Amino acid sequence: MKNARYRIGWLCSFVPEEIVMAAGLLPLRLSGQGEAATVADAYIYSNLCPYVRSILALGINGKANGLDGLVFVRSCDGMRRMYDLWRSYVGTRFTYMLEVPKNRDGTAMEYYASQLRKFASALEQEFGVKITTASLNQAVKTANQVRKLMQQIYKLQRGVPLPLPGSEVFQLGLEGMRMDKESFVAKLKKYYSKAKSQVKQRGGKGKVRVLISGNVVDRPELFNLIEAAGADVAAADLCTAMRYFDYPVEENSDDPYLALAQRYLGKLRCARITGLAEHFAELKELVKTYAVDGVVYTSVKFCDQHLYDAPYLMEKLKDDRIPVLFLENDYTWGNIGQLKTRVEAFVEMLDSGRR
Amino acid sequence: MLKNFYEQMRKSSEEEFQRRPRAWLMYTIQLTSTLLKAFEEDAKVVWTTYYSFPMELLAAFNVVPFDFEIACNLLPGADPKCSVDIMTKAEARGYSLDLCSFHRLALGSYFQGYFPRADLLLSTSHFCDGKTKTNQILAQYYGKEAIMLDIPNELSKESVAYVSGQLQTIACKLEEVSAHKLDFDRLRECVRASNRARIAYGRLGELFKTKPFPWDGARLCNLSIIGNMFAGTPFQEQLYLKIIEECEQRMAEGTVLPEEFRILWLAWFPAQRTNINEIFRKNKVSIVMSELARVYWDELDEANPFEGMALRCLKNPYVGPIEQRLNGVNRLLDQYAVDGAIHFSTTACRHANASFRLIKDAVAKRDIPFLVLDGDMSDERSYSVEKTRFLLESFIELMAARK
Repeated sequence: MKNARYRIGWLCSFVPEEIVMAAGLLPLRLSGQGEAATVADAYIYSNLCPYVRSILALGINGKANGLDGLVFVRSCDGMRRMYDLWRSYVGTRFTYMLEVPKNRDGTAMEYYASQLRKFASALEQEFGVKITTASLNQAVKTANQVRKLMQQIYKLQRGVPLPLPGSEVFQLGLEGMRMDKESFVAKLKKYYSKAKSQVKQRGGKGKVRVLISGNVVDRPELFNLIEAAGADVAAADLCTAMRYFDYPVEENSDDPYLALAQRYLGKLRCARITGLAEHFAELKELVKTYAVDGVVYTSVKFCDQHLYDAPYLMEKLKDDRIPVLFLENDYTWGNIGQLKTRVEAFVEMLDSGRR
Repeated sequence: MLKNFYEQMRKSSEEEFQRRPRAWLMYTIQLTSTLLKAFEEDAKVVWTTYYSFPMELLAAFNVVPFDFEIACNLLPGADPKCSVDIMTKAEARGYSLDLCSFHRLALGSYFQGYFPRADLLLSTSHFCDGKTKTNQILAQYYGKEAIMLDIPNELSKESVAYVSGQLQTIACKLEEVSAHKLDFDRLRECVRASNRARIAYGRLGELFKTKPFPWDGARLCNLSIIGNMFAGTPFQEQLYLKIIEECEQRMAEGTVLPEEFRILWLAWFPAQRTNINEIFRKNKVSIVMSELARVYWDELDEANPFEGMALRCLKNPYVGPIEQRLNGVNRLLDQYAVDGAIHFSTTACRHANASFRLIKDAVAKRDIPFLVLDGDMSDERSYSVEKTRFLLESFIELMAARK
């Protein structure tokens, strides 16, 4: 949707961009980076998710004015209340709360599909557009192309030594969330073809390999820190990385809304979805697939979804002799200096474990 | 340890009840008896959320409902030091101080082996993420199934069908746990009992409009949370009728406490020992209503109980867009002639606290003094007696100046 007239922001990887694209609109992930969240203090507690606070600050400071719409998701307590605050104190032409179930069984899929249809109708009504099964299936194909290429890149990352810097792949993915998908597909094709040739040129045992798992990371500082400490980031199980790109949507479905519901609810599990044991199983599978030596589990401060899960997941990982480091961050990574020693010690520990 | 605590609590309440047969003692005896049943060897124990789960459904089965939040948080009022000790056991296992003290206390109690068995662990997404998370963690430790009743933020025929469908799935799980098929006649009887209690609860709410307020504000807040645990049983109506009787008796005898200021209480009332009641009593302040004490739901449809229960979940003030909560607050401000409104913001209650500005602005439109009182539900380490005194006394001065 390179020439889309309207720009629709989104905040959570459960928002199917395909529906926005099928309406001829441009979906863009909104990041609160670079925004001092203090202005939000008059509206929201300082012990609330710094991602939520930064986005709210962005809106209050008028820096989201370029958006014609913003789509929220009932991701968590903070986000559902931010929807209220946004409507009351910021406002966008189209402000929408998309209902996403927290369970992922058949009833939940059907309910989610019904909510996606409602979302499509709301877009049609507001922007005077028509979403057809054909336009939706076309958007699914385009989004799947992005997924397929990103998955191919991540597949390269299973190789030893790691062919591409994890920080670079992560930033590439972030870029894709903030540009039109057709241009991104073109960029990815070029990148992938160059990356494939690099794989053949490299050899050796490689560095210590790390999986980053957590929630919303919008900056490369942690990746840079791990790489500077002498390790590679082989994979990133984050809302802003693999959880955005994994699994395709069924193409040419008779019911594309149900197909979208199945993909989005069935994607790599984030902490808002029920099933702690399943979450651990998926994490373990990633450890195996990407042959990592350890996990860095990171969460923005005050994220209940992750802070509750963290001790249990860490305990289980340790039971399975998978080293894990838990790092809380303030979303801006202003505390990166404090984390340096811990990351270096962790990488050193992983390295000595390999010898 | 918790079991002994409930036994002592029940014993002292029963002894007191012999001397003074008061509603609150009836309530305490019933609550502690239910909690104690969960420790019985042959009990089928279903963990749940007393204050938001449709308890009529559990009442229709031979299961013992157990809520780890309520079960643990009777303790901080009686023994704050012991509660903190238990919380530190969870903190030592990595549960952050940024998490709700209710849940740190529950996790600590589990690690100390204080809890009864669990045959099934239910929770709802109504109020907060923390409760459902804790439920899932505990289910892992118990090796039992956790089910979350997922309540969407929107009210539509689709969301009613979604919630109703989940309740039917839960009913099937309860059949497995209790080894009994769901008896629809019994469920309908539970719904009838709940509807009768709803009428009594409404009468109680009407009585609370009386000046001076004839009951106890802290108990009113407590009842608005825990009262739902008896939904579906005849006891719920009996309890409300007994409170009505006591209030009417006090009014007739002229023994109601004097009142200078009337307060609407928003969000939670601390479970731990505080100086709030002492300050209020000294300054003749009554909490006359709590936002959760409002009858916000319609009568449950006996012919379609699952849909009725789903509708009540979806109409909860803490569900849906903020207008659902604000409409309730505005209605209470209209009806209860209050001099001020206080929002108690317990540190980690993100969903309630994140609305403070919206509520403040709504209350300000009516030129009613509003206070956000920060504190903690159960952790005395995060509660300041002097700060609370200063804030409440300043607020009382403000209300006096406005009179």
